[in-house]
Amino acid sequence: MTDSAPTLPAQPTILHVDMDAFYVSVEIKKDPTLAGRPVIVGGTGNRGVVASCSYEARAFGIHSAMPTARARRLCPQAVFLPGHFDDYQEASSAIHRIFLSFTPLVEGIALDEAFLDVSGARRLFGTGPEVAARIRQDVRQTVGIECSVGVARTKLMAKLASKEAKPRPSPSGPQPGPGVFVVLPEEELGFLHPKPVRALWGVGPATAARLTRMGISTVGDLARAPLESLVGSLGQAAGRHLHELAWGRDPRRVEPSRPTKSIGHEETYAKDHYRAETLAVEVIRMADAVAGRLRHASLEARTVTLKVRFGDFSTITRSRTETAGFSTAQVISRIALALLEEVDVSAGVRLLGVSASGLADAGAEQLSLDDLTGPGSDDAGWKAATGAIDDIRRRFGDRAVGPAALAGADGVRVKRIGDTQWGPGT
Amino acid sequence: MKLRCERDTLVEALATASRATASRGGALPVLSGVRLEVKGDQLLVAGSDLDLTIETSVGISNGVDGVAVAPGRLAVDIVRSLEPGAVSFEADEDKLQISSGRAHFSVMLYASDDFPRLPVRSGEAVSVGVAEFAEAVRQVVPAAAGDDTRPMLTGVLLTSESGTGLRMVATDSYRLAKRELPGTSVLSEGQKVLLPARALTELQRILSSADELTVRLGAADAGFEVGHVVLTTRLIEGDYPNYNQLIPAHYPNRLTIGREPLVEAVRRVRLLVKDATTPVRMALRPSGAELSVNSQEVGQATEELDGKYEGTEGLTLGFNPAYLIDGLEAAGGEEITLEVLDALKPATIRPAGNEDYLYLLMPVRL
Repeated sequence: MTDSAPTLPAQPTILHVDMDAFYVSVEIKKDPTLAGRPVIVGGTGNRGVVASCSYEARAFGIHSAMPTARARRLCPQAVFLPGHFDDYQEASSAIHRIFLSFTPLVEGIALDEAFLDVSGARRLFGTGPEVAARIRQDVRQTVGIECSVGVARTKLMAKLASKEAKPRPSPSGPQPGPGVFVVLPEEELGFLHPKPVRALWGVGPATAARLTRMGISTVGDLARAPLESLVGSLGQAAGRHLHELAWGRDPRRVEPSRPTKSIGHEETYAKDHYRAETLAVEVIRMADAVAGRLRHASLEARTVTLKVRFGDFSTITRSRTETAGFSTAQVISRIALALLEEVDVSAGVRLLGVSASGLADAGAEQLSLDDLTGPGSDDAGWKAATGAIDDIRRRFGDRAVGPAALAGADGVRVKRIGDTQWGPGT
Repeated sequence: MKLRCERDTLVEALATASRATASRGGALPVLSGVRLEVKGDQLLVAGSDLDLTIETSVGISNGVDGVAVAPGRLAVDIVRSLEPGAVSFEADEDKLQISSGRAHFSVMLYASDDFPRLPVRSGEAVSVGVAEFAEAVRQVVPAAAGDDTRPMLTGVLLTSESGTGLRMVATDSYRLAKRELPGTSVLSEGQKVLLPARALTELQRILSSADELTVRLGAADAGFEVGHVVLTTRLIEGDYPNYNQLIPAHYPNRLTIGREPLVEAVRRVRLLVKDATTPVRMALRPSGAELSVNSQEVGQATEELDGKYEGTEGLTLGFNPAYLIDGLEAAGGEEITLEVLDALKPATIRPAGNEDYLYLLMPVRL
């Protein structure tokens, strides 16, 4: 390997596409009467946080990750909605398909955010800025929501550019943004240097405070600072890295597939749970959901991790690894419940999470002696039953069938991805 | 409590009893301690995690009767680190003084009242051949489940169908090991007990230097006496899975092959196994077997082995290499036979010409 400097493309061909107020936009698409009003999606209970808010709400100073209780005080007249994760997932998949129709080099960052490398799309679809405009149009027509696109030669620059493309909240209503913002190679430093250092990836509050003490507040200050003093203050790796970024040098490529390392669910409860029985049911719910996602991705796990956050916010994780891979709710529940049993829950449990890791393709399957003894004996027959469950859910929806422990008067309480992602509903 | 004893004698007694102390976090603190009791010219040392208790005794001098419970691990480490020679212990209410030469330690004690009551010996004492019993434990224990999600499978089943002879069985549901001890009679006809595999592993350790073993089976526990050491374990309660139906009555395909060469070949090709789900493939041929590993991101390895195969040609099975090696090591002997029905049914490994041991292994679906 030679240590040659990465060559940057001559033209801006990296796109950062970011949906505008994604969850809220999906809600407005479903209920157009919400348009033009302050709308907040997130945890609606007293422990919830804001996940997404409309530009009308942002004019009141509300932003995502703010506690919902605070948002309510800032804007009592806002419409507060719990999240409908299924809908966001569906919209996100549709958007992803649009991206893939332009280039295979799509790196999803979140449901509402992705990097695209469109350098190979020029002949078919045109230049970076042209592709960006077409993507906005396709997303608007197909999914019915707006997005903003930053176009530049690097991921760093593209991400900063998409912010410039966004609409802006104002007391008189949102001001539309340009939608597409292009940073041409010769404009890069002029665009980057006036920005505060916090705009750079990897500069958190601690690093920013350290830089401020060195008299560095903008990216330009950082670029002009002697490398030795940065290294002295931030360490070899971080110092060099930030100095490179400050000169707009970001060699990271768009990585299309990021292998999943773990699959998990967690949930914060409206009230702390003290009863082991209640928690056991919650564990079964989450194990069921984790297993479904594993099978959906044709993966098997070997490790189950249980996460427990107590009323005092102290958090523990306990995990167990098995020699053979598994993907059924029965095995995951069994392990997670065994882990739960070893936890003293008398202090009250605020959050519970179950995740599966040690993932591998479910290709080579270690067969079990249990498979020979027929249905009814432990895990035996569960694989067949599990296949049937997957079929039923595909046809009739996720809540059509679930573990008996989750059955209640109002049907089966199946855990779904994104349920109460931002704190409990009530 | 007071005593004086040779360092090496004392270390051995403390270390033996400490094997039973609780090492997991979350257990009662006193369970990480060893109970020291001086009675005349004897020191009794006991460690227990409630499931497993190990007691041993050594001769001492300058004894003053009394009981103390000292941190097990620490006591072993301290005494082991001392210069060779005599060591003296002297305990008051809450501290143990350990002295040797010019080294002096004062260690906080646990309240001896908190220590669990030592097991009372019950059941008839039966003498058992050490060599055979130890071998059977070594052959069977590896197949027991290492994690306790299904507590039953962490045990080793001891059973006697006819009243003479003893059978040991263990399975983690992926493989099953069964050993017959025709000359060992411990159980009455039809009697079954389930012993924690961990207790048998500790017993095996103690047996390595012994020539006599006495077994007592009580209602809720089993005791093993080896010289000055008594190991008592709680029995696992419940019904063991019906393993008999898992063992096929006959097989159409049989490979007879040198055991050591096969183990070594599996060890070699397994170097390319990247994760626990990559199997070793075994293709059965009239001239023997071909082992291979194909790891997409790493590469391939193959090795041909001479042997004698009778059965369907072109049959290929996948095995978890670790499970395969466990079975081959446990079987012992010069040659083994590997018998199979098909690629999705359990395979059986036995020492050639010996019906006493059987290792049943489920393949990996290829």
